[in-house]
Amino acid sequence: MGQSTSLIRTTKLQRTYQMGKNTVQALAGVDLEIERGTFVALVGPSGSGKSTLLNVIGGLDRPSSGEVWVSDLELGQAPDKKLVSFRRDRVGFIFQSFNLLPTNQAWENVALPLMLAGRSRSERRKRAENLLEQVGLGDRADHRPAELSGGQQQRVAIARALANDPVLILADEPTGNLDSRTGRDVLLLLQRLVREQNVTLLMVTHDMNAASYADRIVHMRDGKIEQIETIERTAEAVA
Amino acid sequence: MTFGDILRTAWSNLTRRKVRTSLTSLGVTVGIFTIVVMLSLGVGVQRVIQQQFDAIGLENVVVQPRDAERNPYTRYVRPEREVVISPAKIAEWQQMDDIVSVTPIVDVNESISKRLVLPGDAAATIAVGVDPGIGINNPFETPPTALAGVLRPTKDGEIVISQRALRRLGLTAEVNNLIGQKVQLIMETPRGESQSFDYTLVGVSSVDNNLVALTPNDSIALKAWWFNEPDLLDKEGYDYALIRAKDLNVARQLTTQLRAERFRVQSVETVLELASKIFLVINIMLGSVGGLALFVATIGIMNTMIMAIYERTREIGTLKAIGASRSNIRTLFMTEAGLIGLFGGIVGLLGGWGVGRILNRVALAYLEREEVPIRGDFFYIPPWLIGLAIGFGLVVGIVAGLYPAARAARLDPIKALRHE
Repeated sequence: MGQSTSLIRTTKLQRTYQMGKNTVQALAGVDLEIERGTFVALVGPSGSGKSTLLNVIGGLDRPSSGEVWVSDLELGQAPDKKLVSFRRDRVGFIFQSFNLLPTNQAWENVALPLMLAGRSRSERRKRAENLLEQVGLGDRADHRPAELSGGQQQRVAIARALANDPVLILADEPTGNLDSRTGRDVLLLLQRLVREQNVTLLMVTHDMNAASYADRIVHMRDGKIEQIETIERTAEAVA
Repeated sequence: MTFGDILRTAWSNLTRRKVRTSLTSLGVTVGIFTIVVMLSLGVGVQRVIQQQFDAIGLENVVVQPRDAERNPYTRYVRPEREVVISPAKIAEWQQMDDIVSVTPIVDVNESISKRLVLPGDAAATIAVGVDPGIGINNPFETPPTALAGVLRPTKDGEIVISQRALRRLGLTAEVNNLIGQKVQLIMETPRGESQSFDYTLVGVSSVDNNLVALTPNDSIALKAWWFNEPDLLDKEGYDYALIRAKDLNVARQLTTQLRAERFRVQSVETVLELASKIFLVINIMLGSVGGLALFVATIGIMNTMIMAIYERTREIGTLKAIGASRSNIRTLFMTEAGLIGLFGGIVGLLGGWGVGRILNRVALAYLEREEVPIRGDFFYIPPWLIGLAIGFGLVVGIVAGLYPAARAARLDPIKALRHE
């Protein structure tokens, strides 16, 4: 069991890949603790293992050795079914290229995790509209992704990540496909959600400016944590 | 994920690529269309033939006595008989359970010369035959009808004559006015002996022959005089008996029993059983043609699904990341493939039905022109064929979807998400 204050705890986490005849060590012993309700940015050059760490914490990938606890679940040893329900009920994913389903309307995209969980259509619609309202797209519920701008699409994706009321949101370069202005809006939105809903957000980025919106910045290099930086923020800066 | 959600999602994915979906299901359509047209033709023709046999009456059993040995030398010596359909036998059969009726029939041989005359006026005489009245209609001819009175005499001394014979006798008045007319049948042996028999006309038949119909007793009387054998009925019995059983099963049992008693028994059912076997073979052959088309269609669906999965790899990765299980993904793609098949099946069924209607009209128009009195559905779609067509379409789709869906379910979400 993890400590009561920390949501995520990894110990001696290793992940190696077989690339042809070479063995690549994506994670080379990561020990990390993240408390509930924090906004953490994972930064580092490409190949530093930050995306692998995100995938392992999100239950998409399994560690080669070591432990990874999210709340009271150890993901490394959990059966596949547990991982599926973990992703479906307790985690929200945000991707660089939004990954909305093109045939679905905005609200249907938001409600996808609820559909997978088998909720009724009317309940889904209500919850999705509520969430779209929260991300400032209350009037776009019936639009398809192609009819929305990049920033709007990412906000729909954020609403989707919130749909199952997750304890943890994992974002992989959420501003990578956005211009700096809309990127800023998205980051402010994420920051606000963490504060208001006490959700834990883990964001992978290589953009130091984007990372500066986080409460803590975890620097990674060669599959290891190099440094953890805590950002002190005054009340005015937050506003 | 509920099944309704699966269906809705599958449907919206299919409508995303309308042309591709339609073309893919066209393969199934062709296969199902072929099967429906071929099988409905097979079933329809078989049914029309069955109806013709039904008109004959499958529950009818025709019993004949068995001749001990044919005498090939003369027509003046009556044949010896091994078993006889005596009046007692007829009565015995009538007493049996599940027997509707037993009709004795006497065959007055064509070679027994007899002429029909009007009393007192020997000028108009015509040679006639006696219609034994087996009671079984030739399905390829319109059955005779009574133009006036009855078709078969019911009492001794009564006669039914064809309209054609009456005309040739010079009786051209309105047929209803001829009922009650007295006529005579004159028989002559080659030795010069002759005898006349008096009858009262009770019916005019539409038979296109010089035929008269008499009661069994009157027919026996003719033969008894010809063979100079007053006890003919006791010695030789009737020539046939038509036994009408309650149903086919009874007829079948009766046939077996009577054959054991050394009677000669004809039953149409034997012929029909053979016909059914032939039709089964034909149906299987015709169905196989459609089956081949369906096999090709299966490969087409598989190809389309593999392409769709390749195109939607990222989408599958996303779904898996946000909590879709393998079985969710598998069910989704199987449903898509199944819908393609189902859609093709329904269209094929409707097409097959439509084409069947058109071809049926053509066939009926042809038969009418050729004056063949057969009507019916030559392209008949029984309920099981509807189920078979739609079910086959669905199964073809699902089978075609098995492998692609399993592939989609197995995709590694991380790789799938990175897929361009």
